[in-house]
This record gives sequence, C-alpha cells and structure tokens, in this order.
Amino acid sequence: MWTLARKILLHDRIKFTVAAAGVSISVMLVLVQIGLYLGFMQNASNLIDHSTADVWVTGEGSENFDFSAPIDERAFYKVASTPGVARAERMLLGFGQFRLADGGTQGVQVIGLDPGARLLRPWHVVAGDVRRLGEPGAIVTDVTEAPKLKVHRVGERREIFGARAEVVALTHGIRSFTTSPFVWTDLDSARAYTLYPADRFNFVMVEAAPGVSPEALAQRLSALPNLDAYTTPQMSGRAQHYWSARTGVGAGFFTTAALGIVVGLVVVGQILYNGTLEHLREYGTLKAMGARNSAILRVIVYQALISALVGFVLGGGLALLAQHAMVAANLTVKLTPTLVVGTAILTAVMCCAAALLSVVKVLRLDPASVFKG
Amino acid sequence: MTTPAPIAALAGVTKIYGDGDTQVTALADADLSIYPGEILLIEGPSGSGKTTLISILGLLMRPTRGDVFIRGERVSALRERDLPPLRAGAFGFVFQGFNLFPALTAQENVAIAIKMKQPRARNADAEARRLLAAVGLANRMHHKPADLSGGQKQRVAIARALAGDPAIIVGDEPTAALDTKTALDVMALLRSLASEHGRAVVVVTHDPRLERFADRVARVEDGRVTAVDTISHAA
Repeated sequence: MWTLARKILLHDRIKFTVAAAGVSISVMLVLVQIGLYLGFMQNASNLIDHSTADVWVTGEGSENFDFSAPIDERAFYKVASTPGVARAERMLLGFGQFRLADGGTQGVQVIGLDPGARLLRPWHVVAGDVRRLGEPGAIVTDVTEAPKLKVHRVGERREIFGARAEVVALTHGIRSFTTSPFVWTDLDSARAYTLYPADRFNFVMVEAAPGVSPEALAQRLSALPNLDAYTTPQMSGRAQHYWSARTGVGAGFFTTAALGIVVGLVVVGQILYNGTLEHLREYGTLKAMGARNSAILRVIVYQALISALVGFVLGGGLALLAQHAMVAANLTVKLTPTLVVGTAILTAVMCCAAALLSVVKVLRLDPASVFKG
Repeated sequence: MTTPAPIAALAGVTKIYGDGDTQVTALADADLSIYPGEILLIEGPSGSGKTTLISILGLLMRPTRGDVFIRGERVSALRERDLPPLRAGAFGFVFQGFNLFPALTAQENVAIAIKMKQPRARNADAEARRLLAAVGLANRMHHKPADLSGGQKQRVAIARALAGDPAIIVGDEPTAALDTKTALDVMALLRSLASEHGRAVVVVTHDPRLERFADRVARVEDGRVTAVDTISHAA
C-alpha cells in the first residue's frame, strides 16, 4: 500500500511539489512563529529561570516582573528573619539612560545585586572578571547588545544617568524582553543608575532552609504585610504570562501559526482530493473486485503521511535557516524538542485532516459506478 | 451427459430506479444462469438493462426484487459488509477503459489487486508475474500503462481480474476500445480462461463478431432477457 500511495503521489511531480511546498511553508510558519514566541518568553523570564532562588518576594500587587513596585529595607529584614529562610538577597530591576561613546543615549534595564550575591549572577561570561561586580561603578553588559551600547570590550567607561560605569565583564546571549539591554551592577550603583531612593529595590530572592518546601515558604512570606511571594516556577510563569496575555504577543504569534496550518490544510487537501478524483475509476475497480474501504483509505492516508513527512523535513530545514538568519537580527527562535515533536505530530494530523474530503469521496464511491461510462 | 450446476444465477430479478412518477424499471423479472467454463455474451441496445444486469450479477448492486445465487447460495439478502469478501473470492472485472493506475507498472497494477483482495498475501509480486505471464505479458511486466498498447493494457486488466483466482470474470465491453485483431486476441484469451481453467466469463458487448468465442448469448431488450441462445460452433 505504501508503494501505491507513494507512486500515485509522485506520479505528477508538479502537484506533489506544490503539496510539499504547502506543507513545508506551513511547518516553517508554525516552527518559526512558536519558536519566536518561546524565544521571547525565554527572555521574559530569563533572570528568574537562571537564579537559584527558591522563592521570589516582591511588592504587593506587582503583575509585571520588569516594572515591579519598589519595596524597602524593612521588607528585606522581615523576609530574611522569617523562619525557613536560609538566605535572602536583594535585587533591583529598573531603567536608566546609558550614555553612548558618540554622545547619544540608550535606554537600559539595570540589574542591581547585593555584593557577594549567590542566588543570581551573570552567566555565559565570555570576557572579564565577573567577581569585580561588587566594586562601585562596575558593570557587566552583553556582547549581543554591542550594536546598541557600542561597548565592545572590557575596560570601556560610560555614564548611566550621569554616574560613572566601567565594563568589568561581558556575557553572551542574556537579553531582556523589553529590548532594553541589561546592565548588571551592584545594588548601590543600580540605585544611582535608575534614580531609585537609597533604601529601595524590587525583589528579595530567597533560598529555603533545608527541608522547607518552597511552596510552604512562599505562602508564609505572602502573609507578610504589603508583600507577595512566589516560588521560582510561579514567578517565571507570571513574568511570561504578563507579556503573553496582557500585550497580545501570544495571540499574534499563535494566530500566524494557525494561519500556517490553514494554508497547509487547504493546499494538501486540494492536492489529495484532486488525486483521488483522478483515480476514482481505479479505486472503484478495486472496490468492485472486493477491496474493502479500509484498504483504499489506507492508500489515501499514506499519501497524506508521505506529504506530511516530506513537508516536515523541508519545513524544518527552512525553520533552521530562518533561526540562523534571525540570530543576526538578535531574535531568538527557540526550537525545543517538544516544539519539534509537537509540530511533527501536528503536521501528520493536519495532513490526515486534509485527506478527509478524499476519504469521504472514497467511502461514498459506489463500486457499480465503474460500469457507468 | 449431465448439465453442471450453475456457478451463478439470477432468479426473477427486477431493478427499479427512483420512485413515484420518476420510477424506471431497468430490469424486469430476469432469470439467467451462468455455468463454469462457458462464455456468455450479453447483447442488447444501449439502455436495455445490460449494465444493470451485470452490476446485480457482480454483487455491485442490489435487486429491488428477486434473488442472486452464487455457487447455490442465496446472496442477495446478505449484509452490505459481507459482499466485498464474496466479490473478492468470486469475481474479476474487465472494463472498456482498462482502469489501470497510470503510476504503476503492469506488475504493480496486478499485485495491488492481489493485496487488496488478500491483505495477508505474502507472494503478491510473484503471483502477479505468474498471471501476467499467463496472459502473454512476461516481457512487459515493468512497463507502465502509458507504454503499453491497448491490447496489452487489456491483458494487464485481465491479469488483474484473475487476482485471487475468481470463478467468474465479468467484462463490460472489454474489446470496444480495441482494433479488430486485438479485440479478437483478447476474446481468444478469455476463451482459453473459460475452456482451460473452467471459469465462467460474462461479457457485455455490442459486437456480434465476438459470438464465435461464446457458448451462449443472452439478449436484453427494454429491461427483459428476451432470449438466451446457445451458439453452435460446428464447423
């Protein structure tokens, strides 16, 4: 049956090329659109996901990780003294104006950490010494943001809101959702760079004591006045959900991906249906000679699956090319194994669904019709 | 000498299409028996009911009234889902337009019919080669229909009809698209299938020249089997 399906499908090379092109464009759209979405979502919770904190504490009612309400030192000490807390570190996340070498400015997202912070540190360090981050005015930037910040090497000096900053290390691939480049520094410098008051910051990262569950600790810390606490997975999910749901970003990407599926459905459906019509007399002859519907339907479904396989391989290749091309535009297309496997299954289901019209046609085919004309 | 039992029979078969004022009686009270080893021609003008008759005989259509018997078993009352295996075991069909898959070689066209009739068949390719050799196409097995002459295509179709070793071959104007010599060659092949292998061959035709290959001719007019004549081949 596979042979029959393959030969019928490949008999008209042009039609098969059109079908394969339809499926591959569909596959590429799904992979690239959802991959871009996952890339953006990865950026939205990048800092949280790379921390080793068990619980994140923030100001009450803060919905957006990137624009979280400030909290003060009293909150930090209340958190740090709560039973079950093994370690607590402050973090500030605010916006500043980075003075460029050519005199222009660039908005940046400043990350301020406690001196000696352990729960969150810059990762993927490619140059310099990140241990100097605790020194006043020391900053770490990302090499992929060099076109925006015009910072290319360790030792370069700039100003952020008029305060001096020296690049002590460079990372690779740590990017924000807001598109403002991250600048890592110590807590006091961060306050200067973001014009925050001296006792203010946004988050307390908490390490739970051995034997204490993060969920129970988050619940306990949420009971403190004017504070909300979340486990790290919860905090990551909130950060992603805000940008995905509140801004319509998710709907945009998924709508385009859905359109890709519709394109695939229509193209494959039309090609398979035409092929079925062209071979209706032959199928009728087989039915007349005793072939069961299921045997003929297998031929049609196999054609759909062959289209899916070829389209998926070609579309996957196109998606890899797009992923490579988008690196230059500082866009991350995150092709996870789950996405790839899910898209493969989706493609197979899409092609089988596209074969439904043909299936109905064959089921309704009266074998006596072979005697008519 | 005793007359063999019929391999298939129609008894009082009537077929009415439509209902009310649009009713058309395509076949009325037809009786017909088909015997192993014979060629039965069915002749009649267009619209006389020939196609309806062979459709009912081939279990492709249910009669409005009357019974169909295959090997003595009344099959006209069987459920729809029981008919395909019965057809697979009893019938092979040959058509004027050949109805071969253009993408498949001669061998593949025959093998696919074997696999569809007998899903568990493990030697379909070898059996297809044997059948093609039997119809004189041993040297054309790997040719596609587009590379075969009309006569060769019809031989492939006959080989395909033989898939599953059916007892009855039904031909719907199988020589209509062929030139005279090729048509006679095809009929000679069908004659040998009947004589040497004991198959019944039922052929619908308008061509009286084919009578020389037949044992009997059933004449159909206005939905009625008006005569069944035995052909004398005495030289």
